[in-house]
This record gives sequence, C-alpha cells and structure tokens, in this order.
Amino acid sequence: MPFDPVANVQLLINGLAIGSIYALVALGFVLIYNAVGVVNFAQGDFVMLPSYVAISFLVPQVAVFGTMMHWQLPVIVAYAVVLVLMVGFGLLFNLIAYHPLRDRGWMPVVISTIGVSIFLRNFAQLTWGSQPLGFPSLFSAETIDFSGLHVRPQDILIIAVTAVLIAFQYFLFERTSLGKQMRATAQDRTTARLLGIRVSRIVAITFVYSVLLGTISGFLVSPIFSVTKEMGGLIALKAFAASIVGGFGSIPGAIIGGLAIGVVETFGGFYVSAAYTDAIAFVILIAVLLFRPQGLFGERVAEKA
Amino acid sequence: MKSRSFLLALLIIALASLVPVVFRGNDYVLNLFVVAGVYAIVVMGLGILLGFAGQLSLAQAAFFGIGAYTSAFLTTRVSWNFWEALPVAVLASALVALAVGYPSLRQLSGHYLALATIGFGIIAQLVLINWKAFSNGSDGITGIPAPAIGSYTFDSYGAYFYIVLAFVVLTAYITARLKATRVGRAMHAIRENEMAANAMGIDATKYKILAFVLAGAYAGLAGSLLAHSIKFISPDSYSFDQSVVFLVMLILGGSSSIGGAILGAVILTFLPEVLRPLKNSYIMVYGAAVIAMIIFMPQGLAGLFGVLKRRFARA
Repeated sequence: MPFDPVANVQLLINGLAIGSIYALVALGFVLIYNAVGVVNFAQGDFVMLPSYVAISFLVPQVAVFGTMMHWQLPVIVAYAVVLVLMVGFGLLFNLIAYHPLRDRGWMPVVISTIGVSIFLRNFAQLTWGSQPLGFPSLFSAETIDFSGLHVRPQDILIIAVTAVLIAFQYFLFERTSLGKQMRATAQDRTTARLLGIRVSRIVAITFVYSVLLGTISGFLVSPIFSVTKEMGGLIALKAFAASIVGGFGSIPGAIIGGLAIGVVETFGGFYVSAAYTDAIAFVILIAVLLFRPQGLFGERVAEKA
Repeated sequence: MKSRSFLLALLIIALASLVPVVFRGNDYVLNLFVVAGVYAIVVMGLGILLGFAGQLSLAQAAFFGIGAYTSAFLTTRVSWNFWEALPVAVLASALVALAVGYPSLRQLSGHYLALATIGFGIIAQLVLINWKAFSNGSDGITGIPAPAIGSYTFDSYGAYFYIVLAFVVLTAYITARLKATRVGRAMHAIRENEMAANAMGIDATKYKILAFVLAGAYAGLAGSLLAHSIKFISPDSYSFDQSVVFLVMLILGGSSSIGGAILGAVILTFLPEVLRPLKNSYIMVYGAAVIAMIIFMPQGLAGLFGVLKRRFARA
C-alpha cells in the first residue's frame, strides 16, 4: 500500500475523536478510583443511560415503555434536562452502590457496581426496546473537505469538547477549593477528614462528576455509534485499558492513554486487521501490564491486594 | 464435626442423584440441573483462586470456552471420543492458564490482575470468532457427540446429569482435600497477608500461579462437559458477561466455601428461570438482587447459614 498522507491524517483525526471518548470515560474511572479505591464496572452505563434519556427528549419516533413521546425539546434544553437528571442519578448511585459498602474493601463494591450495570442495561432494554436507536447529530452527516481531506464535523466537535472539558478539569482541580478538596480526599481520606473536609460529600460529588463526564461522552459518541444497551460496555473496557496504559490513578495518564488507544486502534484496524480492531486495546493493555505495570505516567507499581 | 459434614455431603449427593428420577421427562428442568452442575465446577475453581488465594480473575468464561472448543474440535473434526477429548480439553485450558498466569501473577494482583484477565478474556473471544479453521467462526460448531460407554450413549439430559454429578463430586472432593493440605494453607496465608506469607518461606507467586492454573483447568473441564450436553457451541457464550456471572455466583455463595460455590451456581442458574413470569424485567430484578445480596449478606449464603446455625445453637 503506497503511503498516503491525506488518508493518514484522516485516520489520525478519527483516532483522536474516538480516543477522546475513551479519555473522558477513563477520566471518570480514575476520579472514582482515586476517591474511593474501587474500579467502577458501571462506568460504561454512565454513557449509555443518558444517551437513551436524551433520545426520548429529542426524537419524536422513540417509544418509552412502548408509548410514543412527543417531547422533541430543543437540543440545548434537552441536554440541560438530561444533565440535571444525571446529577440525581449520580447521587443515587453513590447512595445505593457505594455508600453502604464503603467500609468493606474493594471487592463488594466491584460486585455491586456489576449489579448496577446488569440492572441498568436491562432497564434500558425494557424502557426503550432492543432495537438500536439513531441519535440526532448537531451537524449534518456530510463531511467537510479540506483539499482532499474529508473530515466529519462530529469528530471535530468531539475533540474540541474534550479539550474544553480537560481545561475545565484542570481549572477545577488547580484553582478551586472544591477541586483541592477532591484531590486531598483522593490522596489521603483520613488526613482529609482530619483537616475538616467532608469526605462523604466529596465522594458523592466525585460520583456525580464522573457520571456527568459519561453523559457528555454519550452526547458526543452517540451520533457516531447507534444507541444500544451494550454501547457502554466496550467503550468502558477500552477506557479501562487506557487508564492502565496511562498509569492507573494518573489524570494526564488517562487522557493520553485514551487518545493513544484511540489512535493506535484506528491505525491498526486500517493497516493490520479490521477483525481484530477491538483486540488491539487489550493487547496494548497486557503488554503494558507485563512490561511497565506502572503505566506511562504512573508511579506506583502493582497494588497490594 | 468432620463426620457430620461427610454425612451431609453424602445426603446431598443422594438427593442430587434422585433429580433425574423426580424430573423424569422434564427436559427443561433437567437441562438446567446439568447447566447448574457444570457452572458449579467453574465456580469451585474460581473459589480456589479467589476464596483460597485471594486473586480475582474475570476470564473464566474464556477458559470455559477453550475447554468447550478443544473438546468440540477433537470430537467433530478428528473423531476422537468424549473420554479422549475431555482430558485434552482440561489440559489445554490449564496450559493456556499457565501461559497467561505465569507472566501476569508475577507482576500483578488486585484490580490490575482483574483488568489483565478482562483483556485476555476479550482477546480469547475475538480469536474464537475469527479463527475459523479451529472454531468455525460465529457459526459455531454443531453436532458435538454425546459421550458413550460401550454401546450405551448418554443422550438424554437425565443420563448426562449423572456424568456431570460425578465430576462435581470429584472436583468438590479434590477442592476439599486441597483446602486441608499444605498447599491450601499456603494459599490461605497468601490471601490473608502476602508479605507475611513470603516471610514464612511460602513461595507466594508459585501458589498463586497454581491456583490460577487449577481455576483454568476446572473451567476447561466444565466447558467440555457442557459442550457435549448442548451439542452446539458458538463464541457468544464465552463473553466477559459470562465471566461476571461466574464471579457473582461465587460471591453469592461465599467465596471460600465449597458448598457455597455449588449453591451459588445452582441458585443463580435457576433464579432467572424462576423470575421468568416477570417477563422482560427479570434480569433487572436479578441485577437488583445482586446489589441487595452483597449489601445484606456480606459472607454470601455460606455466611448466612453460619449465622442461622449459631442462632439455633443458642436457642
């Protein structure tokens, strides 16, 4: 295959776009992991659930519990409503799946998040049916051409929104009192509590923040993939891989790991094997775990069990 | 106490062997019992890894699949019989578990090990989908023969149940023996405190790898057994979700109890069927039940029985 610079730039943009989604979801993982020391197995459903909820408000033909809804809210209003609803969901998630188990080590929490995941996926199927649903894009599906380069506007939107969110996150963590409390809680809960930080409240806020990152990822990715109850599963597993590759617990690591996995799997899918595209992330994951378990940016070596 | 649990085990085996008589002609229920027995073997193996040695794997469905596919391939393409294929299936799963476990367990534990096994499980399933020469791809393998002894074929679910029961008893016995030996105690020490175990001269890595290989072998055995019962296998049965189901069965039963592992497998095999009258919402209720059980029954069913027993003893 002759080297085609235009095609490669196009692949790079596709890769960065899907990588941005992995990065946002990975960020959600890492924030929860840092705050409570547990990997949240329902993270993918934080992407799926709001996508379905948003569809109910946006698309006239979508049936909820078999009944046609005719809300058809303006896009911005619908997004805002869903974000508010998901704040409630984040609080509820913390209250049910984490809070009662907070003193019992990591395994019970892992199991309860698995339970939540099973529940949500089937709740989604029951509510919205099992057919994949199309999610309206803000833009037309047509590509924009720059001297032979075909770019999907949605890809550009994904990359831009992710950049803004990362900047916001940086501002939150470095410049605000809330962000500093979140960081302190992640670093050492006991000391944070001694310093007068309300750790339970900070943990609840972390869950909500993580849910909102998932929600925005859902708005961004749904126009590309269709909305199904399984849509979050593979995204979440690759975001896992991304956060390990970057160095688990590291925020820049999650972002760079996500982008790297998106780019490598897009190129790999094109040049190596389309059938094994979904395996690429996990091959990278296992290689990193074996040869550099602390990841690209991590400091800690394998955790104590 | 020792003889009491032996008698209890005998009683349970006796009751279990009545299952094909009681449910004669009811293939639907008999099939569920076969499946429950097969799952119990996987879950006991996972119990060795998690309950004894304290390491979590989310790839048991992959080892289950390797056993099933090895057995199916050898019996349908190479025309071996079940009894020849079964040990090879167990060996194949054990070898793959060794190949995965040896590098991983020297480096990783806790969440990291769990994540590495998820990665392996997904790759294994993709290989089953794409390696058509071995697995026939997404179409799966059909016409897997039932086992036979002489001229008798274990064709019905009722007859097959006895084969499964025999293997459940065998693996439960091996597991119980293991728990009581030096190896089992070494694993227990590692679970409680790996650093202290190392300081006592226990080669923690060696025992963790052994536990991982045993868990893989149990899953491989179970995979082969189920393949020859349902006679058709396809890659979508060996997913990450199935690995999660095995883990939930173990946690529900109580992770270091052999009886708990079996009970967890049986209950969660039948629970979705019992909930079927709820129609589409039954899996939702199942998810909610998992959350409720983990919150309200910290030690699983085995722990719950322990509490009840103490209460009765006091009264």
